[in-house]
Amino acid sequence: MHSDGTQESRLQRSCPVAVRPPLSDVGRLSLSIGRLFMEFGESARMIHEEILGMAHCLGCDSAEVYCQHAAIIVALRRGEEFCVQMGKVGEHGVNLRGSEVVKDIVRRVSEGDIACSVGQTQLDNIQRTIPSYPVWLVCLCTGLACSAFGRLLGADWLSFFPVLVASAVGQWIRRAMLVRKKNLFMVTGIVSFVSALLAGVGGRLLGSSHLEIATVSAVLLLVPGVAVLNTQTDVIEGKPNLAAARGLRVIYILLFMTLGLVAAQRLILQGL
Amino acid sequence: MNSFWIHIIHQAIFGGIASAGFGILFNCSPRIILHCMGSGAMALAIRTACQSANLNLPESAFFAALSVAAAEQVLQPFQQTRGSIIALVGCIPMVPGSMAAKGLTNLFTLLQARPGEEITAATNGMRSLLEVTLTLAAIGTALAIPQLIYPEKEASGKTKTLR
Repeated sequence: MHSDGTQESRLQRSCPVAVRPPLSDVGRLSLSIGRLFMEFGESARMIHEEILGMAHCLGCDSAEVYCQHAAIIVALRRGEEFCVQMGKVGEHGVNLRGSEVVKDIVRRVSEGDIACSVGQTQLDNIQRTIPSYPVWLVCLCTGLACSAFGRLLGADWLSFFPVLVASAVGQWIRRAMLVRKKNLFMVTGIVSFVSALLAGVGGRLLGSSHLEIATVSAVLLLVPGVAVLNTQTDVIEGKPNLAAARGLRVIYILLFMTLGLVAAQRLILQGL
Repeated sequence: MNSFWIHIIHQAIFGGIASAGFGILFNCSPRIILHCMGSGAMALAIRTACQSANLNLPESAFFAALSVAAAEQVLQPFQQTRGSIIALVGCIPMVPGSMAAKGLTNLFTLLQARPGEEITAATNGMRSLLEVTLTLAAIGTALAIPQLIYPEKEASGKTKTLR
């Protein structure tokens, strides 16, 4: 980042941090922030803005951030000091409350409410501190969302409850397998097959005449909507490498989802 | 009340439920779940109204996403959350996942198509996937426009990144 001195002075004056932590600590903190934001489903623009803003407040003259799908690189400069750090990014997901917690920590470090080292400790322990909904509620709401999708796609009321149950079970299986670090694409295929099969069997037992829509609705929990929209944002905002990686991943998820769906539909619509 | 309004209300209600459900799945804060529901309802209502006015899916999705994103940008000073979480979750029900699955399914049927049926299967598959691509591009562009025109005041806007 090469910016004019006037802007830099204005930014530094607006940041009340008096103590300047070591540059390596700022680098480590920046990496943790970037990694968590990536894993929580934020766009590259948000990651850049948060890290750059905080680096300025911690006395850095310049900062550059290079976001990739599986790694993140941060380069910081303060006077004659220069620090480059690289870190690995884990599995990408969506956790909007997690993002809010990270943003809150970044804001408090930038405003000098907490020290850089305290912020780092809070980020290291963040997985234990993020509030989350009970698993049963997440499964139920996911099922409800997929049933609503069914109605939006024109499914009859008879398929509403089977889709709800099938998607809720699918979400429970997905969570259980991802917690055990199973491969995401395999999980997608398995969940798609099970959810579509349950929705189809349930719909058939209840006499629904829209089995095809019911089976499709039941697997929509697997569509990576946030990743798709982040891909768009990254393309528009000039991050083609990250967007390409995200896009490729989205395509594979959709492919595995369709494979599971087609297998279940074969059983439901043609056999069974 | 005529069937047009009943259809719009139906789509808005279930769009709102879908958004709220996905809001919970994405671990949104409880205080914005109702906002997500409103955002989804608004998006689906506008999309349905546009489709009723003979606009195609990508065009309708564009106007719906633009309206939601613009509304969130206008209301940003009154919100505690930064970014476009509410607009993002509100647009999730418009992501054409079912159409993507249909397009890929059509391409799978191409493998088993009898002579003479290949062109129909390929055309159906490509048409669905093209519509998916255009719709996603429309939603993504519409979500980005308000932030590009009227960026948030907190943003430093001083980024230079490697590409």
